[in-house]
Amino acid sequence: MSAKPKDRTDIATGLLLMAAAVFFGWQTMGLEIGTSLRMGPGYFPMVLSGLLFLLGLLVFLKAFGREDEPFGKVAWRGMAFILPAPVFFGLTVRGLGFVPALFLAALIAAQASTRLKPLHGLVLAVIVTIASTLIFSYGLGLPFRRFGPWLQF
Amino acid sequence: MTMKLTRRLMLGAAMAMGLAGAASAAFPERQITLVIPFAAGGSTDVVGRIVAERMGKALGQQIVVQNVGGAGGSLGAQQVAKADADGYTILMGTVATHALNPLILKQKPYDPVADFAPVSLLVLVPNVLAVNPELPVNSVQELIDLAKKEDLSFASSGNGTPLHLSGALFNSMAGTEIAHIPYKGSGPALTDVLGNQVPIIFDNLPSASGHITSGKLKALGVTTKERAPSFPDVPAIAETLPGYETYSWNALFAPAGTPPEAIAALNKAALEAMADPEVAKRMGEFSATIVASSPDDLGKHVATEMAKWEPVVKAANVSLD
Amino acid sequence: MDLLNNLALGFSVASSLANMAFCLIGVILGTLIGVLPGIGATATIAMLLPITFQLEPVSSLIMLAGIYYGAQYGGSTTAILINMPGESSSAVTAIDGYQMARKGRAGTALATAAIGSFFAGTVATFLVAIFAPPLTTIALKFGAAEYFSLMVMGLVMSVALAHGSVLKALAMVVLGLLLGLVGTDIYTGAPRFTLGITQYADGLNFVALAVGVFGIAEILRNLEDEHDREVMTKNINRLFPTREELRQMVGPVLRGTAVGSVLGILPGGGAILASFASYTVEKKISKHPEEFGKGALAGVAGPESANNAGAQTSFIPLLTLGIPANPVMALMIGAMIIQGIVPGPNVVTEQPALFWGIIASMWIGNLMLVVLNLPLIGLWVKLLTVPYYILFPIIMAMCSIGVYSVASNTFDLYAVAFFGLLGYLMSKLRCEPAPLLLGFVLGPLLEENLRRAMILSRGDPTTFITRPISATLLLLTAAVLVLVFLPQIRKRRDEVFTESDA
Repeated sequence: MSAKPKDRTDIATGLLLMAAAVFFGWQTMGLEIGTSLRMGPGYFPMVLSGLLFLLGLLVFLKAFGREDEPFGKVAWRGMAFILPAPVFFGLTVRGLGFVPALFLAALIAAQASTRLKPLHGLVLAVIVTIASTLIFSYGLGLPFRRFGPWLQF
Repeated sequence: MTMKLTRRLMLGAAMAMGLAGAASAAFPERQITLVIPFAAGGSTDVVGRIVAERMGKALGQQIVVQNVGGAGGSLGAQQVAKADADGYTILMGTVATHALNPLILKQKPYDPVADFAPVSLLVLVPNVLAVNPELPVNSVQELIDLAKKEDLSFASSGNGTPLHLSGALFNSMAGTEIAHIPYKGSGPALTDVLGNQVPIIFDNLPSASGHITSGKLKALGVTTKERAPSFPDVPAIAETLPGYETYSWNALFAPAGTPPEAIAALNKAALEAMADPEVAKRMGEFSATIVASSPDDLGKHVATEMAKWEPVVKAANVSLD
Repeated sequence: MDLLNNLALGFSVASSLANMAFCLIGVILGTLIGVLPGIGATATIAMLLPITFQLEPVSSLIMLAGIYYGAQYGGSTTAILINMPGESSSAVTAIDGYQMARKGRAGTALATAAIGSFFAGTVATFLVAIFAPPLTTIALKFGAAEYFSLMVMGLVMSVALAHGSVLKALAMVVLGLLLGLVGTDIYTGAPRFTLGITQYADGLNFVALAVGVFGIAEILRNLEDEHDREVMTKNINRLFPTREELRQMVGPVLRGTAVGSVLGILPGGGAILASFASYTVEKKISKHPEEFGKGALAGVAGPESANNAGAQTSFIPLLTLGIPANPVMALMIGAMIIQGIVPGPNVVTEQPALFWGIIASMWIGNLMLVVLNLPLIGLWVKLLTVPYYILFPIIMAMCSIGVYSVASNTFDLYAVAFFGLLGYLMSKLRCEPAPLLLGFVLGPLLEENLRRAMILSRGDPTTFITRPISATLLLLTAAVLVLVFLPQIRKRRDEVFTESDA
């Protein structure tokens, strides 16, 4: 059976789309659906969730009988450092303040590449922080606290 | 009277203590952030920015405006409620943040009374009931009569806004059932009324005033008890429906627990700003009435407003999660 | 000639030394801030708004308008160079512009964008000057039913944005529509899909979505295999388009200008459709539709012109009605009120110097931008020679600041990370981000207008076909549907007979 060609990427896509549809549909459960003539808040999302499920199913079914394409490498290191950068900035910008939060976010993001040596990453983060502070905080006067309450004793 | 006197004495004592405690640190020693709980460009933002600039001069420190919009003003109010109670973070509160949202929201993100220290009630802003000129009515009474015969609808800037509730209060007092059509903000609601897609609107007077003077909208009545000084020819709805009164307002709040000397300094600066003829002129153009109250009076005002809106919110059956 | 007198008045106001200077400052500041990744026109204006408060009303509005076009130019630059759109309009430019840049044609793409924008801006400015009042009358004929039909047409067109599987593109549109519904239902106030987080009560931030699915996904793709990544920097010796390329631009620019001018007038969200609609038109009438998504010149020229024309004509409802067509316009209204000008239909008659001054400055601002930007192209292209691993920590820092500055909402930053992950996953699964983005933008408008139309018609669904403008739009939609799907079906039939499609 395994000799039959199938497109694994599209199988995954179809399954994920159906999962997303189920998630949205489940979230719609608590909302009032109403009728076509007097639509409640749940009507439109319910129709869309159903449609998304159907489309996911079609993608899934059409994946069989078709050759796979190479999936390529996955940027694990990139994901591990790029995605946390804005999250970290968000978690600390009020507490630590703009300057340290931005510095740490840039420093985290700089770790994503193996090509950037740690020391160079540090220098880059310092430069980015100084330049951004000058532009946004002093130049444009954005109302961010430069150093937050966590750093004041 | 005695209450006020005691309070003043206490305030004085507190001030003395504060001065003794930190002789060098007179409030304010650094810049103050004024959180405006709505997007830049709206009427609250405009009032806030005008006042902030003038108050900054009075205090000798810059007041930086930060727009924290979202969830009908709740996000910004919540942020100030949780901020350090040092007087350096203050809120431009409105009828929405300190009367309506607390009544409407099922989950209470903050307590409008316990979480805040009132500073000053700055201005009252009238709302207006206006119709597209093609609607064959010329007075509030004619509108009520027409609404009892035909299906009508009114536009507002959104669900649970003071304008929606002004309409709801109108319906309940006039015994009409004018359907509510909510929009995302005043702009799109006005557009549809100008294009006669919807015949009636409840809007802030400042935002509708340009269309009223140009004749693109017919103003039937203002929502304040008295006529608005900027539109003396437009009757008050209360002239037809006695007791009808709604208006929007803007007031400054600090987080609860803010030192009294900081409140006093902010209040003094606010009063000074509102007494400035230039500010007064701007507010006049804006159809806003200056109040510039004491902190105590703002506290009472919040209590009165919540008591007034509670039955309306119940009657209109609005609630948000 | 009233018009000539008015324009003369306008130019005399706008060309005063001070106002020219403010226009130039606005344009430069707008370009510089807008070119930072993840910072679009809305964020730029929000940041720069306080600067303008100290000025005279005319100067302040001229400067604000300058910031607005400047930020749009800047946004397109970032979209082309690093696939990081800061606004919905530049998201379309990113599709083919970025592919051109990858092929070493960044200079051509940037020049095309600048020239197309300037032409469209010029035409649209004159449209505003001549036809503003009558056009407003037409715009007011658009009610909920008409907007619904218009959005349906936009959705059908969105399928053409995809260059891969139509099925997956449809799925992405629907997913985008669902994401667009996150937030508070405006009719009942019920929260939807917010997972109990009040910070998402007003919906997900568009910039967070665009930066995530386009920009961050692209950064991650570049980090997949660092020893083997393609070098973008070769082959960029030619900055300006050749005569042949200029000739190819004419059609797309003209059509884009027409599409954008028409849609920009509609205050209920017409302008956001402009660049998407233009892309569809170009792809449909191109002799080489297969080039779209792989660096087609027309895919940059058309949408950029449409976008700029739409941006310009969206001033019509602002100036003639005092009603903002988008958040940027709302900020400008706020600026007018702060300056003591009551926005509304009376501005034209009561403040002719202001009204015509702004219109004249629009054209001057566009001229300044093209003069400013053409020489800058060399500099921007040089930016691509900066090693990518140095560029992306900077990009991440700018994105964080830009997204946070819009509403000081830290949850928007978490959304950036989430959408970055989603975008990367989508790219691995060969799903395209542009249809998702369009669905996200249109979702709320579609539902809002559908439900409003039904309430206004008292539950009568025939309202969509009994109202003439709405019916016309639906007919057009049907025509587009046939045009889009007929070749697909025919092609599929051919493929069945030859080989299974890969």
